[in-house]
Amino acid sequence: MAFLEISNIVKNFGGLVANNNVSFQIEQGEIIGLIGPNGAGKTTLFNCIVGYYKPDSGKVIFKEKDITGLRPFDTNRAGIGRTFQVMTVTTGMSVIENVMVGAFCRTDDRHTAQSEASEVLNFLGLESVKEYHLNELPIAMQRKVGLARTLATKPELLMLDEVASGLNRTETDELVLLLRRLNAEKGVTLILIEHIMEMVMSVSHRVIVLDYGEKIAEGLPGEIVKNEDVIKAYLGEKYAKSH
Amino acid sequence: MEKLKDALDFRDFSRAEQVGFTIFSIFLLLFPWLGAGSFVKAVMIQFLLFSLFGMGWNTVGGYGGQVELGKAQYVGIGAYTVALTMVWWKIPFWVSMPMGILLAVGYSFMIGYPLFRLKGHYFAIATIATSLVLQDIFANWKLVGAAKGIELPIHDHPDFLYMQFKSDTYYYYFIMVLFYVAIFYMNWFRRSKLGYQLRMIKDDEDAAESLGIDTRWCKIKAYSIASAFVAVGGGFMAVYNLYIDPVSVMDLDLSIKIALMAMLGGAGSLWGPTIGAAFLVPLDRFLGSWLGGHGGLIGLDFMIYAMLIMVVSAYQPRGIWGIIEQFRRKGS
Ligand SMILES: Nc1ncnc2c1ncn2[C@@H]1O[C@H](COP(=O)(O)OP(=O)(O)O)[C@@H](O)[C@H]1O
Ligand SMILES: [Mg+2]
Repeated sequence: MAFLEISNIVKNFGGLVANNNVSFQIEQGEIIGLIGPNGAGKTTLFNCIVGYYKPDSGKVIFKEKDITGLRPFDTNRAGIGRTFQVMTVTTGMSVIENVMVGAFCRTDDRHTAQSEASEVLNFLGLESVKEYHLNELPIAMQRKVGLARTLATKPELLMLDEVASGLNRTETDELVLLLRRLNAEKGVTLILIEHIMEMVMSVSHRVIVLDYGEKIAEGLPGEIVKNEDVIKAYLGEKYAKSH
Repeated sequence: MEKLKDALDFRDFSRAEQVGFTIFSIFLLLFPWLGAGSFVKAVMIQFLLFSLFGMGWNTVGGYGGQVELGKAQYVGIGAYTVALTMVWWKIPFWVSMPMGILLAVGYSFMIGYPLFRLKGHYFAIATIATSLVLQDIFANWKLVGAAKGIELPIHDHPDFLYMQFKSDTYYYYFIMVLFYVAIFYMNWFRRSKLGYQLRMIKDDEDAAESLGIDTRWCKIKAYSIASAFVAVGGGFMAVYNLYIDPVSVMDLDLSIKIALMAMLGGAGSLWGPTIGAAFLVPLDRFLGSWLGGHGGLIGLDFMIYAMLIMVVSAYQPRGIWGIIEQFRRKGS
């Protein structure tokens, strides 16, 4: 039995088919890249998995349990963490308080939550900004805080929605290192949505490609970059952009 | 034990806040001996009572950001429970008060469950509606005195069991003790798991859900805590005023004042409701007696409150305390 098994997910928005019969399986410990042009349905698929959307049909099985249609807090407690492509810029809590909220997912004790939050902040190199509020940080840093508070909930499966966007070269390299460490040291299974091909190709063990809501390819990074359909999907986008 | 330690631990506040709170506490303790007249004493009692209400509101309304405008129904439940059980069965205050809390909490879970399916303005309006319905029921219900209300039997001698005293000083100290229980509770609450979770809900509800927070359940819990606080204040009103009716303990006016005081002072801060009450209770008293002499201006107080609500929510949602904190952040 796979760690995460998604079968025939369909999600419509009115007439628009955002996810069309998407199926795949992931084993524990894998790093999966989920790519596809803008509007391909990647974020929607995340939302269907963790419960922000209820898929019109299809099933999500996580660790042999049917979690289709559970609310997001339930899927989180089951061990799935997700970050948001767009962070809501908030003013009410400091960085460390944000991360403590994540830690409170697994403990009732304030002191435990605090020390776990500090640990996560150290791991991500965020300790120097822990007293700042989100609105006082650059966007790339806000996303990192989003990652930190999700990590504090101790997910076994971590789903990241474009965490690398807005980062420069060195920052991206640091993040890649960090994700590898997370995967190797803590055994966290990762699914990364990335718009940028290069980064995904370098971290992912396997890559899944969506286009117009459908899975058009799945395979090793080396295979994916040579895949005709994938090239067409991306070229198509570039073509559309230049006109 | 750990909780008690947290409740009494004010070390994470600034020096200025600690000193201010200490001076304020000494003032509260000595107040009855400062020679104030009965009018001022009554205003002080009202001030502490509304601080208590405001702190209750602050759980779900301030920390949780769910603008709730129906607290009067819980004032009513607390007040009616104390008054009716005393009139019908001579049940002492110390028994009827906990009964009132239980009823308020039970009722809050019952209506909180459907209520928190709603969000934003819909939620605010629904809280008003539920409170109005309950007020209407009580105003027409003969058994509980209908619109005429209930008078509590007056005892010849001061009676601690029934909380009847000749001097306001006793009521003053009683409400002061309740005020401190509320302060200490809220001091624990603001750093509790529920306190943090509510703040996250206020900031970003989707993110809160993604962090394992059952947002609806958290709101319901906070709502019932708020209701318990407010019911205690209602019970106090019954023994203090010795007369209650649906207008004095269940009116929309009361709900709005409770929310407004907390919002004006600083929603989501420990001191906010007290600061708000310190401004609005005297203003309310003043407007009340002044407008009483100017029949044509009835309703003006409501307009002033409505304007205050708009100004606060538009310019500084975190109230007076928010302004102070802003200056402090800039300064540091
Ligand atoms: N809540 C929604 N309501 C209506 N349409 C939506 C909604 N969310 C996404 N969509 C549409 O679904 C398609 C897929 O969107 P999305 O999953 O965000 O794509 P991606 O993350 O791959 O860029 C887009 O056409 C988008 O406009
Ligand atoms: Mg997206």
